[in-house]
Parts: sequence; structure tokens; C-alpha cells
Amino acid sequence: MQPELSWFERLVNWLPTTRLFQFIAHRLLVPYWAARTPTQPQPGGVRPAIQGTDNLQNMMNLVMPLKDKSPIGRAQAVMALAQNLDEIYAGLDNVGTVHFARFVIIDDNLCMISVYDGDFTNYIRDFIATIGSVFDAIVAQIEGGDAVIPCETNVEAFIDWVHRHDLYQVPDEPTDILIEWTRTNERGEPHDIRLLPREVILQLHANPNVSLGGGYRRYPGFSAAQVRKELGVGW
Amino acid sequence: MTDPAIAKQLVEAIIADTPDHAEGTRPIHTVGIGVEGHFQALNVAANYCTAEHFRGHKVPVSVRFSNGSGSPVERDGVSDVRGMATRFHLADGQATDLLAMTLGEFFVPDIPSFLEFTTAALPKPAKRETPWAKLKDMLQLKLPLPDPMPWEDATNTEGLIDYANRHGFAQLSVTQVGTIGAPVSYARAAYHAVNTFIVTDPNGKKRYVRFNWQPVAGVLNRDSTAPIVNQYLHQEMRDRLAHWPARFILDMVIAEAWDDVADPTKPWPNRRTKISMGSLTLTKVAEDQKEAAEKIAFNPCRLVPGIEMSEDPILQARKEAYEYSRKLRGGTGCPFFGGSADAT
Repeated sequence: MQPELSWFERLVNWLPTTRLFQFIAHRLLVPYWAARTPTQPQPGGVRPAIQGTDNLQNMMNLVMPLKDKSPIGRAQAVMALAQNLDEIYAGLDNVGTVHFARFVIIDDNLCMISVYDGDFTNYIRDFIATIGSVFDAIVAQIEGGDAVIPCETNVEAFIDWVHRHDLYQVPDEPTDILIEWTRTNERGEPHDIRLLPREVILQLHANPNVSLGGGYRRYPGFSAAQVRKELGVGW
Repeated sequence: MTDPAIAKQLVEAIIADTPDHAEGTRPIHTVGIGVEGHFQALNVAANYCTAEHFRGHKVPVSVRFSNGSGSPVERDGVSDVRGMATRFHLADGQATDLLAMTLGEFFVPDIPSFLEFTTAALPKPAKRETPWAKLKDMLQLKLPLPDPMPWEDATNTEGLIDYANRHGFAQLSVTQVGTIGAPVSYARAAYHAVNTFIVTDPNGKKRYVRFNWQPVAGVLNRDSTAPIVNQYLHQEMRDRLAHWPARFILDMVIAEAWDDVADPTKPWPNRRTKISMGSLTLTKVAEDQKEAAEKIAFNPCRLVPGIEMSEDPILQARKEAYEYSRKLRGGTGCPFFGGSADAT
């Protein structure tokens, strides 16, 4: 049998739930460890894959900070979308590999969330090729967007720009964060699993907006084209 | 075929990890409850596998739910892996088994690693981490070691963490075991058969697959901060089935070309094609628990035409290891080892 916990042990076990400790962790410990063990933000978007179904139903989560963060700026973004909705939908139709796409405004950000098949670069290239200059009206509302306008003729810069705004997708399995760490560790040794919380905290410190996992799919392994074919609704 | 000497070594290594192992009981998943019901395949199942239980008719089943520990003491409220062993009773006294657990992957990929792992898991005297050490951990944003349970004189927690820190393949399983929790019901947990099998479709095409049971009632764990209750899962199952059947959906995930089919430590990505093979309906707790929960002997390699073992070395070793364990505890004989038919 284990002896009863002493008052000091109970106090230490309780400590992480206190506001004082949370304040210390937030204001001191996280900045200290972030400075001591610099963590690079992991790149956004899906990981490179060679498997067939790893290239289907990819999630893209673009978070694009608005230039004008006032309600007027948000309204301008709404109008830019509303005035070009037909063009955008026609473009997505013509890309052909998109399952879903939607735009949302969250705080000071315009977000485009979409699910597509195939390579990210090809998706964006096709998207901008089929939408043409219409997307410029939207990009013009975004911080740093002027540098890639006109998108149609700045394709590579636009692809890089989109990639930078695509959220990092935290691995589905938590310890894959440690595996990613191990791969980049010079010695290639496994990491201490008790440091998993710190690795997660520091990644979120460097990368505050992330996608949690790669997302749920009810029909994994099928492309938009296969679904349309099986439903008999044409290409 | 695994060397019988290896099977003996495997089982004895597991038993050594459980100080209060009771002779005549299972070396792990010792405490369990037997329930009865039926499985019915969906129409699509026969397109992927020709095995008898996937042809669409109702197949009677015996299921044993269990706690993962090798201790004979029932401690339901403790964070632990749970097991779900299913026997499909087929025509002419034939049967096939499917063994699954709440952990989504295994600890090690092969036999030498397993023996090393069980050595690392040998219990050592349970000592609480000092408050000063815990404070140091907190300042490092590091997870403090969990306190041993009040009744624990020995623990393998540090051994497992040390092993995982030296072997990347064990990190996921060891991390998940540490946080797996206790289900509110055996019928409210998802169970994974972590080994890979090969199924054959009516055209003779073979596919590497893994199976999962998904509870229709949903997954729910007990509040991990609430006081631990030692015995509730068996009575909960009796109460549940007295009112309404418990149901599970059997999913089959199909591997792709580069998926590791021989390594149960590696879960496949959730993007793989998943086939809903059928539904399991559990209707009553077996009356003879001695037979349905204790004597019954499952074996993950007890298969029927249409399903084969993959080259997964852990799966292959389980065949002989389970048989050795069965003999050791006097479980009911299994026909595919030349024993008497098990009609349980």
C-alpha cells in the first residue's frame, strides 16, 4: 500500500490547476523555453505523400489577415466575394478536384476552407488559371496581398503566398510530433515522451493557428470524380 | 509457425510482469465477462471477403470483454486497455475468432522486441515522484510521473517510459496507454484488431486489411478525476442488456501499396478506404460465466477460408502463444490445434 499523500504532495498535485501557476507558465515558462529551444513553425498544408488515398480529400485551411480590420473592412471582403461568387464557383467547377470550399470571416481573418484531391500546387495553379483575375479582388483585401496581384501572372508567388497562409496540420497521432522532432534531430534519437506537452506547447507558441489532425472523412479513399461518377451526376 | 519454445518464453515473460498472477487464469486480460448475440454482414461485405460470416446471414457469436491487466483482481475504474474477443459460430461446428483491444496499435513490431519490452515492463518497487521532482518537471513543461495507485507496491510505468524513449516504435502505444482511461461501459469503447489479415474476394483478389469495432452507443470514458470505482463494468453490461441490445459496427480498413502490413506498431492513416462489413448485436450476458468468460480460449489465428494471416510476426507468434497459454490454464481445446470442438 502507498502511504497517504502529504500536504506538500497534495499542494504540488493541485498547483497546475491554479491561476498562479497558469500565469507563471504562460508569462514565464513558455517564453523561456521558446527562447531556450527555438521551435520553427511547421509548414502548413498536407504532408507530401506517395500513397493514392493520401492524395485524396486534402484539407486546405487558408487564414488570411484582413488589411482593414474594422467592420467596414470585413464588409468589403464580404462584398468582394458576393460580387464574384459565380466566377469563383465556376472556377471551382472547372478545377474538378474540389469536394467542398467555403469562405468564412473569423475575427480579423478571411478564411478559405476547402477539400480537394491531388497535389496542392496543381490545385492552386488550376484554381487561379480558371478563376483568372477575379481572385485579385479578394486578395486585395488581405495583408501582403498586393505583392501577388495580379495573381494570374504571378502564379508561383501566389502559390507560395497561399502555402504560407495554409494552417499547419497537427498529426492525427500525438506522438507523430515527436517523430517529426526526431527526424529533424541531428542524432536521430527518439525523444523523451514526457516532453510531448512541451513540444506541443512550443509548436503552438510558434504557430498559434493550426488544424487539429487531418480531419474526418466519411468516405475516405474516393475522389470527387469517383463520387460524382458513382452518383451518376456527370463529371 | 512459431517455435513452441518461443511461445512458452513469450507467455512466461508476460506472466513475470504480473506479480499477482493467479495460476489457472489468463496471463493478461484476466478479468472478463462473456456475452452472446449475433453478427450480420452488410451486403457489401461479400464483395470483399468470401469468409462464411460475411455472407449476410445471422451468425451467432460469443464475445468476451475484458480488462487488459493480468491481475485477477477486478479494477474496472483504472486506466487500462480493454479487450473484445469475438467468436463467430459457423456451420458444421466451425468457428473463427477476432481479437481486438481499445489500444489502436501494439507496443512492438517483432518477437525479440517483445521479449525486451516485457523485461522493461518488469515491475519495480512503486515510489512516488517527490514533490520537488514534480515541481522541476512542471518548470520544464514536462509531464510528471503519475502517482502509483494506493494499492500498488510495484509498477512498470518508469520501465515502459524508458523503453519508449529508447524505441520510437513504442512511443505511440506507451503514450496512449498512459491516457487511455476507463470506459463507462464495455459497450462504449472502440476496439481495434491491430494485426493485419489478408482477405480474399469472390474474384480471388487478395487485400491486406485491419478490422475495428465501433460502438453504436458511442465512445465514453469515466471522468478521470473522479474517485476510482473498482467493480462496475460487469453489472453495467447486465443492466444494459436487460433493457436493450448493445451494438457494434465492424469496419474493415484496406491497406495501400506502401502501408506497413507486417508492423502492428504502425496505425494506418485514417484516409484508407474503410468498408462497413456488418453489425454485431449483443443480447444477453452468458449464463455460464465459467465457460463463456474463463474456459473459452480464443486465438486470433483461428481463421476460416477467405481470411488468412499476414506476415506480421506478432500475429504469427500469437498462434502458438495463445495455445500454450490455453493449455497452461486448462482452457477449452481448440479444433484447429487438434483439440475437441469448442461449442461455447
